[in-house]
Amino acid sequence: MTLAGLSAAYLRARPLAAALNVVLLALGVATVTVLLLASRQIESRMLRDAEGIDLVVGAKGSPMQLVLSAVFHVDVPAGNIPLEEAKKLAAHRAVKKAIPLALGDSFRGFRIVGTTHDYAAHYGARLAAGRLWEAPMQAVLGAEVARATGVAPGARILGAHGIGAQDTEHLHDESPYVVVGVLEPTGTVLDRLVLTAVESVWEVHGTGGEPEDYQEITALLVRYATPLAAATLPREVNANPALQAASPAYESARLFRMIGAGVEVLRAFGVVLILAAGLSVFIALTQALEERRYDLAIMRMLGAGRGRLFALLVLEGFLLAAGGVVLGLALGHAATEALGMLLQARQQGRLTGLLWLPEELWIVAGALAVGLAAALAPALRAMRTEVAHALAEG
Amino acid sequence: MLSLRGVRKRYGEREALALERFEAAAGEHWLVLGPSGCGKTTLLHLLAGLLSPSEGEIEVAGERLDRMNGARLDRWRGRTVGLVPQKLHLVPSLTVEQNLLLAPYLAGLAPEPARARALLADLGLAAKARARPAELSHGEQQRAAVARAVMNRPKLLLADEPTSNLDDAACEAALALLQSQANACGATLVVASHDRRAAARFDRQLRLGE
Ligand SMILES: Nc1ncnc2c1ncn2[C@@H]1O[C@H](COP(=O)(O)OP(=O)(O)O)[C@@H](O)[C@H]1O
Ligand SMILES: [Mg+2]
Repeated sequence: MTLAGLSAAYLRARPLAAALNVVLLALGVATVTVLLLASRQIESRMLRDAEGIDLVVGAKGSPMQLVLSAVFHVDVPAGNIPLEEAKKLAAHRAVKKAIPLALGDSFRGFRIVGTTHDYAAHYGARLAAGRLWEAPMQAVLGAEVARATGVAPGARILGAHGIGAQDTEHLHDESPYVVVGVLEPTGTVLDRLVLTAVESVWEVHGTGGEPEDYQEITALLVRYATPLAAATLPREVNANPALQAASPAYESARLFRMIGAGVEVLRAFGVVLILAAGLSVFIALTQALEERRYDLAIMRMLGAGRGRLFALLVLEGFLLAAGGVVLGLALGHAATEALGMLLQARQQGRLTGLLWLPEELWIVAGALAVGLAAALAPALRAMRTEVAHALAEG
Repeated sequence: MLSLRGVRKRYGEREALALERFEAAAGEHWLVLGPSGCGKTTLLHLLAGLLSPSEGEIEVAGERLDRMNGARLDRWRGRTVGLVPQKLHLVPSLTVEQNLLLAPYLAGLAPEPARARALLADLGLAAKARARPAELSHGEQQRAAVARAVMNRPKLLLADEPTSNLDDAACEAALALLQSQANACGATLVVASHDRRAAARFDRQLRLGE
């Protein structure tokens, strides 16, 4: 017999009410948890993908689309840029490093990216098997591509035209790639790409024989030589009628702000659920108080001080809240994991529910505080039970 | 063991009890007899320290109750007084055994599961230890309430209308049980009743409302 045992006995005596309170709170906690886990993971993945890329240069169009297509590989590019312009820009004194990207084809839904070894090096990729490409029509698979397709070095693969929805009808079956290597997982967009030489993309699209003056690439990832370049280079690039510059940092921040508004709405919904659970706990305890007038009087008669009765009710609120928090966290993590599995094919590295963030402690503290606050008024009333009166009226 | 002097209890203008003098020695069995509304329950609650008198002195087991209050009084009551209320008030969400164990727990005494089992066996409730109060007959509920009242070996055992709604045999049994349990822990027994059948079992009687 303990105070917690007593509280638990009272909760067990009204299992439906207790379950309702716990479930309501758990749904609120789960909603807030899922949002926290998902937005944190997406944000940190985007930050990692964009890290070290100061500027993206591509065809004229929306800067957001340029960043989405060339940095995160989730959108299609607006067009191509002349190789000559790209080369000129790469040689600019404000540019420390420039990585070319040539897009256009995909392999079973994974993008084939014509680029240089710098691109793999930029994300710190290491080979899990084989080697990097040394000639056109050699391909290196990102870790996730190799895992999902089961393709190993030595295999021949065909690119499909288009990088939007997978389009198997337009296979480039006259020009297969030879897989020469597989990368280790990097936790970046690289894991879901097939890398090859820029020349491969030209060859597949039948422009391989033409002189370089006529060649095109899709985008250039630029690293500034000095911080000052940020002030001048974008303007300079945008002045060129063929080019468009976009800052990944700026565009991602803009994207977060746009997503952020939606996340805020959902989070508010979760908070409302938690508060509703608090109200429901308050109502349940207040009602229970009416039923338990005599029990509380008996407890006082048996020697329990007013503080004990207060503690009993507060503990009940706490147990309900703790149950809701535990269930809610479990639910939130399970839902995030399930979401990750469901969206696996469409994601840059999938969401995981196995991640635990320190911020979750705030959710725990908040939900427990709501439970305690809900129990406060009933607990104060319990404390003031008129013992003799209750025992006399019976 | 207990003594009241010039005790008055008023609710607003209305006087619920006026008692010039009442004294009982340790181990005595007293019957407080009187018609409904004469202040019997009020007297028991004053003796238990559940009410404080409007006037007068109340001393029980060496403590001046009219001068004690708050947590100290609660603690004293839990350890010194056992009360069987008229409506029994067993805690419905606990088992019979847990109802008994509640007494030492709330009084801040060491748990005594062995005493609880022995008492239940003594009162023929061994088979009902794990039952809820609602599953018990009225007679069984009353015995469980007596068992709970004597769990902490009180110095003062109080019972409010223990014979109401009982037939003659049950009435006898209920009073006999209270007396034997009071003797077993050496407690002073004070039974409040308006039932004249109870009078036969008590040599010492306090008549109220005459
Ligand atoms: N809390 C209270 N408020 C007002 N009057 C009360 C209260 N409790 C008892 N009384 C009154 O005090 C008188 C004595 O009550 P009580 O001690 O319960 O009598 P008994 O137990 O002998 O029937 C009654 O008239 C009753 O109406
Ligand atoms: Mg009465």
